[in-house]
Amino acid sequence: MIELIVQFWTNTGYYLADYRHIIMLAVGLVFIYLGTAKKYEPLLLVPIGFGVLVGNIPFFKGFGLGIYEPNSVLHYLYFGVTTGLYPSIVFLGLGAMMDFSSLLARPKLMLLGAAAQIGIFFTLLSALALGFLPKEAASIAIIGGADGPTSIFLTAKLAPHLIGPIAIAAYSYMALIPVIQPPIMRLLTTEEERRIHMSEPREVSKRERIIFPVAAVILCCFLAPASIPLLGSLFFGNFLKECGVVERLAQTARTAIIDIATIFLGFTVGASTQGDVFLTPKSVGIFCLGAVAFSIATASGILFAKIMNLFSKEKINPLLGAAGVSAVPGSAREVHLVGLKADPTNYLLMHAMACNSSGVIGSAIAAGVLWSFMV
Amino acid sequence: MLGLEAIAAHNGWAMALVGALIVFTGLILLSLAVSQIHKVLQLWDKRGSSLRPKKSGGAGAGPPKITLSPEAKIAAKQVKLLIERIGEPFSLPKLLELSQKAGLARSHGKVNELVDAGLIVPDGKGAFSWNQPVFETNVINS
Repeated sequence: MIELIVQFWTNTGYYLADYRHIIMLAVGLVFIYLGTAKKYEPLLLVPIGFGVLVGNIPFFKGFGLGIYEPNSVLHYLYFGVTTGLYPSIVFLGLGAMMDFSSLLARPKLMLLGAAAQIGIFFTLLSALALGFLPKEAASIAIIGGADGPTSIFLTAKLAPHLIGPIAIAAYSYMALIPVIQPPIMRLLTTEEERRIHMSEPREVSKRERIIFPVAAVILCCFLAPASIPLLGSLFFGNFLKECGVVERLAQTARTAIIDIATIFLGFTVGASTQGDVFLTPKSVGIFCLGAVAFSIATASGILFAKIMNLFSKEKINPLLGAAGVSAVPGSAREVHLVGLKADPTNYLLMHAMACNSSGVIGSAIAAGVLWSFMV
Repeated sequence: MLGLEAIAAHNGWAMALVGALIVFTGLILLSLAVSQIHKVLQLWDKRGSSLRPKKSGGAGAGPPKITLSPEAKIAAKQVKLLIERIGEPFSLPKLLELSQKAGLARSHGKVNELVDAGLIVPDGKGAFSWNQPVFETNVINS
């Protein structure tokens, strides 16, 4: 009987735990704390944080329990991540939620969405210089787009062994937008620039909003066909919303479908951070490069807006450049708040959403381009 | 291999440059296309209307009758004075700012009510103007 008890004890998590599990459990708890108590991106951090806890409970290898063990339940759920299925579904829901009116009213703000993607390509160079292989470097670089689903999608295609750290880095920086972006915005803009008022956008007709997803999917996907899984879903979701004849489908896409995908995406990405796989020097490098990528993306958007101001009659508030990253709607909200602090009558949210939505399109194109370069 | 040598060995410079160029090209093409959609639609509509016989204005044509609360009518008179000060066309944030400074209570709500009532109308280019005929029919002469 004692032998049985000893055997049971050696199979428990208490016996099998080592320092890596403890570190990762602490990380999971921090995520849950930030999501629930501080309300930092709770829709992302709560499922990821809980996934980190579940993924880092030590278990006896060979039972078919872990996410990396074939035939385990977690492994099947993780299938949606490794195939790029969940990101595509998330984009469908995102499209059904997004309103491109402000973008249609002022299309030149799309350039800020393009400028913010410079962070991606700068990080590509940095990662290569640090010794990462090209496919790994491309996967790390896409963190600069500040788009979790896009980062996961590209990493699943190019460097599946890095999904855990890259997804955690991407989502962490998305959650930390209120901490990372405002200092960069204040550093690169003057008080006077932050006070620039944007004129009211023109009214956009329903027909324009219906034509946009059709025109956009054709134009963008012809240019970068590798972005079809993301942009195809995004614009299809948006067409469902705007065409007005399939409201039931649009409603399902923006509620049940995106919620289900977000739950499984967050939970399984969290669970993929098993201490023995996750806590490596590479992960530390990825986290550092991710921060650089995100900061450069923010800075390049702001600087590009300032350059545009040199040549255009109507001045753009350079804060809008920071919303060129595709963290919807976090970065737009942050731009709005920084603008309001400089001038309480300056409402930038609508304009920032234009940059934000073009950032989503830009980062998906960038992901497609990087994928096609590596094939 | 590390540093610039690694970037050059993996064709990193070219990938970064071409990649950034493609992203810019994609979004520039899209913004150009998007900026033309409403113009194409306007042309399409004009083509349709030029083929139809023009309708002559009916005897009953005039500003529409709307129902405004007494508070909204007072607000309309106050906002009208503010608009005279800032000139037309005007931006909505500027009008809101001025109404707050002028002490108009619940300025956001009231300006919104005037927009809904058709007293403040968008000019289609991002600015707004005052609808004097609707104001005269529904506020002054009511």
